[in-house]
Amino acid sequence: MEFGSTHSEVRLKVAQCFRTLSTSTDNKDVTEALKTLNSFLDDGAESGTTSAEREEFRRAHYSRTLRVLVGHLQADWMHALSPTQRSQLWDPLFLRGPPDQTLLVLMEAVTQLSSSSGLERLVSITERFLQSGRLADLLWSFCLHSAASPQLRETLLARLTALPDITANKLHPNNRPIFAPQQYYPLLASEMLAALERTCQALRGGTDCSLTFVAQTLGKVCIQGHSGPVLAVMFPRLALCTRSDMVWQRVCWKLLENVPERWMESVLTGVVQAAKSPDAFSRVVGNLVLTNKKAHFVLTHKVLLLQYKYETPVLRTILGYLASDRERRPLLIQVLQSVLQAWANPSAVKHTPLEQQLYVSKALVLTVSLLKDSELQELRSDLLQCMLGGMQSHLDSSVVRIRTMGMVVGECLSSRMDINGTKLKFEYEQDEETRELLSLMTPSSEPESDPEPADGAPHAEEIREPSDPTAASGSTPASPRSKTDPDSDLDSDDDLTPYDMSGDQAMSQASPPRYLRDCLETLISSEDSERVELSLRAAAGLVRRNVFAAKEISVQMTKVLLHMEDKYSINGFLALRQAAMVALTVIDAIPVTQYLTTEFYSLNYSLRQRMDILEVLALAAQELSKPVADKVTGAATTSELTSYRSSDPADWRQVVEKRIQSKTKRISKGSTQPVSKAAPNRYAPVAGYFFFPLLKNYDRPEVTFDLLGSDQLVLGRLIHTLGLFMHLALNAPIAAQMGAALLDFVRAVRYHVDQMVRRGVLFAVCSVFLSMPSQSLLVDLGEQLFETRTWLADVAEGDPDADCRSLALQSLVLLDKSLKKQLQDPKALSLES
Amino acid sequence: MSRPAPSPVYTLRGASAPLNSLHFRCPGGETPLLFSGSAKGTIHIWNLNSRRAERVVEGHSGQSILWLSTLRSGDALISQGRDMQICLWDLKEGRSEAVDSVWTGSVGFCQCSLLETSPSNYLLAFAGQETEEIQITEMPSKKPVCTLMPDTKLGMVMCLQLWKPDSGLGPLLFAGYEDGSMLLWDVTQRSELSRVKAHPEPVMCLTFDPRLRRGVSGSCEKKLSSWMVDSQNNIQLQDSVVLVNPGVSQLRIRDDGRLLASAGWDHRVRVFGWKKLRPLAVLQYHTDMVLSVAFSDHQDPRQRLLAAGSKDQRISLWSIYNETADKALQGSTD
Repeated sequence: MEFGSTHSEVRLKVAQCFRTLSTSTDNKDVTEALKTLNSFLDDGAESGTTSAEREEFRRAHYSRTLRVLVGHLQADWMHALSPTQRSQLWDPLFLRGPPDQTLLVLMEAVTQLSSSSGLERLVSITERFLQSGRLADLLWSFCLHSAASPQLRETLLARLTALPDITANKLHPNNRPIFAPQQYYPLLASEMLAALERTCQALRGGTDCSLTFVAQTLGKVCIQGHSGPVLAVMFPRLALCTRSDMVWQRVCWKLLENVPERWMESVLTGVVQAAKSPDAFSRVVGNLVLTNKKAHFVLTHKVLLLQYKYETPVLRTILGYLASDRERRPLLIQVLQSVLQAWANPSAVKHTPLEQQLYVSKALVLTVSLLKDSELQELRSDLLQCMLGGMQSHLDSSVVRIRTMGMVVGECLSSRMDINGTKLKFEYEQDEETRELLSLMTPSSEPESDPEPADGAPHAEEIREPSDPTAASGSTPASPRSKTDPDSDLDSDDDLTPYDMSGDQAMSQASPPRYLRDCLETLISSEDSERVELSLRAAAGLVRRNVFAAKEISVQMTKVLLHMEDKYSINGFLALRQAAMVALTVIDAIPVTQYLTTEFYSLNYSLRQRMDILEVLALAAQELSKPVADKVTGAATTSELTSYRSSDPADWRQVVEKRIQSKTKRISKGSTQPVSKAAPNRYAPVAGYFFFPLLKNYDRPEVTFDLLGSDQLVLGRLIHTLGLFMHLALNAPIAAQMGAALLDFVRAVRYHVDQMVRRGVLFAVCSVFLSMPSQSLLVDLGEQLFETRTWLADVAEGDPDADCRSLALQSLVLLDKSLKKQLQDPKALSLES
Repeated sequence: MSRPAPSPVYTLRGASAPLNSLHFRCPGGETPLLFSGSAKGTIHIWNLNSRRAERVVEGHSGQSILWLSTLRSGDALISQGRDMQICLWDLKEGRSEAVDSVWTGSVGFCQCSLLETSPSNYLLAFAGQETEEIQITEMPSKKPVCTLMPDTKLGMVMCLQLWKPDSGLGPLLFAGYEDGSMLLWDVTQRSELSRVKAHPEPVMCLTFDPRLRRGVSGSCEKKLSSWMVDSQNNIQLQDSVVLVNPGVSQLRIRDDGRLLASAGWDHRVRVFGWKKLRPLAVLQYHTDMVLSVAFSDHQDPRQRLLAAGSKDQRISLWSIYNETADKALQGSTD
């Protein structure tokens, strides 16, 4: 009965106040009403209300009160209130009531009101609401009573996490800085920390608390993509607090356990990225990976095998976390097995992006480095088997980086496995990538930066930064010392600077051949290594000097050179042989190309020879297409030839890239090159001889040569070479036919598994678009063109290889430019036809 | 960086025979001369100002000239030929006649060695009639001083160099033999002081720098051996220099002790820094074996040339490391 009377009393009072507020024009009445309402919120001793009344008001009438107040923002009495009255009577109603209700009302009002001075008022009060730490109160209130209805929680959660969006949508440029995500989320994070702090105190005081709401907030914020700023604030503090405090540890574990499953992943990845060391991570996360299925999946599978965007420290943290506890240790072995399988999987090597393979390799090396010898001993047979398979599939790859990666990982694995004391050892070029991989074998040497100051990590960095340059400058004065040799006496020979002595070569008894036929004879039949070497060295020069003699024996000599083996390990053999063959091809293009292109598809050649054929043809075509104007090309070509690096695909790719770049630019700028003396293009008339015979027979597998099957290395190179021919045929009359034929040819291998082949295809397509006259693009290719376009778009979007994607994009751009030009200028088309 | 390989300042042609021996003579104030001895038995006297042969002396009855030198005093020229004669020529006032001769009896190619003991007297060491025999004769009296024969079979004498140490000991003699060993003889005691196996092949040439007590010898292999004579007059082998091509016919050290030049069978002259045997330059010009090298003794360091005589019948003259010598001189006066 008494309760009932309290209820009705409060209701009466409140209703009266509302009436006053809505109807009264007398300021005094209004202030009275506001004072009455305020008295319900006043906890102080001089308050005129009982605690039961206050309770009732908070429960039933507070929201309504606020709504009434918001509804009367434009009322006369509102304008009549002096600023002091406003801050004493009006503001406290918003700032001292239950924060959850306030937040809801405020957000609702902000979305509904149109811009006016009233809205201004509301925004300021919201700002003050945030600044005065009401969010922590809000979170804390939910820690204490978790009885609120799920709908209410849901709405509140949404408002809480979406506050920056709501305000930004409404206020546009007039938004307050505190509502910007950069400020709001760190604020929210520190409010969550405050709530956790209070929870800890309460737990020590023996009060039960629930962390569900905080955990939900955290999860929701993270899933919305704000894990970075939030955890950057929260994690250092948590890591610090959990160092010695068991209560804090329990709170942290509970917090993460309470994160709903659908948000678990984003929270965990955020935490992992914020964690600086495995220790801190394991203190905060605890054994979550064992109890929570989702966490288990994310940490042992998803982050390691499916995603590969994370930095290496993340891998270090996760794997170190798994390794650091006895209970989690079995997981590490599990991880090793799955990572090993992923690494060794031949199809993964072929089909996954390089970055992912690098990531998996890193994970594998890290895992192996964390395992103990005894554990490795148990896993040895598995490990060995997987390693051998994996090595094979890596070494089979046509991409240098993958091969190198395989070698490095193989070395690391074998060094840990102790196979009768033997180790794998490969020769590869050290670069940043291999060094990083190798460095993962040694456990992280940097001391754990845990003595963090209480106010967070950024401070530590500030301290560390200035110390670095001093260290660097301290080391520099040591370098110029080298000049002063300790035992330099005036008498020594050191002041005599040597002359160039590179001409000091070993003498040979025989003299180089003077006639081309002698040279050929020696190459065919001589057993004298010196004479063979001299002949080979002289061959290119002789061919170029005696054009007529060379034409008589060009095919025969090409044949001899093609079949020549490096019996005497002559220095620079490959380059010399290639130079001679290129010279022959240039001098006598038609018969030699006929011979070479026929031989390319015939039986009994090694892959190396077939590649040589392609290289020779490519170089010859390049030389032919250069203007013949300057006669002293001899020196230039030899210098080019000495840098014989054709077996390095990276180099090849660079050349292609450069070429495309330069070409692309030229189209956009028009012809900016200075007008050089015109010279006949020697390549244009013979381009067809280089090009078309290679298109034949590619799909006819021989016993020894299966272009579409296992010999994909040659296929890739073939397509590259064809693309090069196409590119060089710019402005040649035959270019249109070549382009059509080439597009037709590559259609069959567009989706080849090997990325080198795919790159070749894309390069060829690029060169088609570059070299074909734009009018014939439409006329000759027609429908094929649009089909090609969709394919290119598909590749540009979905190819696992980054180079392929960019090449496809480039082709698309070229194609569009060319088409646009054509369509904007229909006159050219009609003239042509 | 390294400078481009040098080329000769000029060349002298017209000897029309391989040039076995070269000798500079640049007396102060007079025309600098270069003597060359050819395989045809002709001695050319080249005027280095006009770059022409001033005089051609025919001697040794057309037999190859092995070696020639001049005496410090006066215009006397000494030449050794394969006709087993060592001749003393008077070149004063345009004369060119043999005034004296010594019969050696040697059929080998060993060049003889000259040591001027006093302004009027000098010693000549040459291979004798027997295989290992070395004869030492005092000139101009032609009095035989001694005959040196090693007690073991060493093969023919290949090269000789007389040396008068500062310590006041009698003249010493380095001799290289066919089996690659090198002996240091005490001429007055007629005793062997030291013996060392410097090369597996015959010692083709040697030269010795009295100031550093260091010498170097070459053979028909790809190596120059350097060695040192310690205070007990023992020869001690030191490090060796590896050459690109085998075979050295002559070695010379420049008078200032900074450069060593080798005449190579590979048509090249190599120049080394003498202190550390650091390779400095490879002089490529000749088209056949280089048989002889000589450094000029000109007073002006800048005109101290290097001459190389080759089997291709040409003499090349090179100006090399003259300016650095100059600079070093300036540096020391500063």
